[in-house]
Amino acid sequence: MSGGVQVSAGGSAGVAAGERWWPRNVQRGLLGATGVLGLIALWQVAASLSGVSPYFFPSPRDVAGAFAVLIDRGILPVDVADSLGRYLAGVGLGTAVGLTLGLALGVSRSAARVLGPLLNFLYAIVEVAWIPIFVIWWGYGLRVILVALTYVVAFPVLFNTATAVRATPRVLIDVVRALGASRRQVLTEVIVPAALPGIITGFRVGAGFAFRGLIFAEMIGAKDGVGYLILTSAANHATDRTMAGMIVVGTLWLLIDQLYLRPFERVTIERWGLVRNVQE
Amino acid sequence: MCKNKAPLGALPFVVLGVAWLLAPMLAQIPPYALPTPGDVLERLRSGVADGSLPRDVLASLSRLLLGFCIGNGLAIPLGIAIALNRWVSDLLRPVLTFLASIGGIAWVPLAALWLGVGPGAVLFVIVNQIFFSTIYNTVNGVEAIPPVLRRAVLSHGARGVQVLKELIVPGALVELIVGLRTSMAYGWRALVAAEMIAGTNGIGFRVIAAVQWYQTDTVVLGMLVIGVLWLLLDELLFTRLERATVVRWGLLRETA
Repeated sequence: MSGGVQVSAGGSAGVAAGERWWPRNVQRGLLGATGVLGLIALWQVAASLSGVSPYFFPSPRDVAGAFAVLIDRGILPVDVADSLGRYLAGVGLGTAVGLTLGLALGVSRSAARVLGPLLNFLYAIVEVAWIPIFVIWWGYGLRVILVALTYVVAFPVLFNTATAVRATPRVLIDVVRALGASRRQVLTEVIVPAALPGIITGFRVGAGFAFRGLIFAEMIGAKDGVGYLILTSAANHATDRTMAGMIVVGTLWLLIDQLYLRPFERVTIERWGLVRNVQE
Repeated sequence: MCKNKAPLGALPFVVLGVAWLLAPMLAQIPPYALPTPGDVLERLRSGVADGSLPRDVLASLSRLLLGFCIGNGLAIPLGIAIALNRWVSDLLRPVLTFLASIGGIAWVPLAALWLGVGPGAVLFVIVNQIFFSTIYNTVNGVEAIPPVLRRAVLSHGARGVQVLKELIVPGALVELIVGLRTSMAYGWRALVAAEMIAGTNGIGFRVIAAVQWYQTDTVVLGMLVIGVLWLLLDELLFTRLERATVVRWGLLRETA
């Protein structure tokens, strides 16, 4: 979540696995599934025994029913498509902005010195605080969300890119220059590859904030999307739908993280032949 | 170098301030969309004079710190305990990952239903956010300790508290501290968001209440306060903490 730098210790099967005949992954999967099922069972039992009205505390069965209705009526697919589309567009825009500015600030020390404090201050005014005034300016809708997401993604990308660019070994740049590379070539052949791990770290941090920002923006700045579904359902006493929406939020983030961020990270790092610095 | 650092960095603020002053003259911007700096200053003065601003700041900050202490106080020991036992960690990891994925803000409507609109719901959301953010990072941090170190410590006969002191804390320190900072950043957003949707006081509530009456001066003041508070929190708590620990011990380079 933090965009941390640990390299997975998954390959550490050596300790106790020697005597087992089943692979470690199978054990992981089985136990993990048990945990999830156990939680659902516990939830069902708690909901049945507590006798609280399903409006207040819906059971897993209620939530599954709400899911079926939401999918059947085509509400959920539309909301999910809306949210995902906005998310991807906002993250893409934010990355482009952050990368451009970050490279500029990384290369030019004086620009960094002049603009640094202002950028720090703007980043401290979190996107959540901007969203209300965006709503005053532009009303409900796409623009509020896109600008808010661009904002929250651009800053971490910018800071991490600038830091990484500045950390590029001077020698590399000098060598490539001595070999007759143009300024542009220095940028694309040396600086960007060297800064890539930093860029990706910033991207991951921004992508995490942006997803929460999206849900919040949809709650107060939109009339559709999963965030809106969660909030209006609660207001309409359809708590089972609220919970269904929350499960969708969790699932979406897991999918984004596993299918989008991680592979992206892996491919870019492997392709450029970079190894992340492991801190121990 | 330090001498001309401050004035240079102040320049963009001045430019922005002048642009803000001139904007209404150059373009047709209705006052409800953009208050003048004078309006915002006046709002600041009256807010401080009648004590409403300090009260809101205090309400938000105390909530954040309380949530931070409760969330981390629960998450760090639990996270370490979970990570130490492979079976428990395999069992709980997907559940924790999923709950961490939902994140605090999506809980706001449910929290408002369960605890009523007010401080309880806001605190619930912060604790939820911080707890799952930290426990996820703690489990990952402890599990990422190289098995070699673990075996070395264990084979030298370390048990119980010693394992904690010699292996877990030093081994996972970077992750733990980075995790604390991350949890605070998420917690701060969750706090402001929760106050806006389910709050009855605090800085987030003040901003959203002002939006409904198009009192943009209060909105802008609230945003500035949110920015200043976060800078202070980050600088006073985390930059110092990192400098005193992981940066000093050479585990983490300070980032700009």
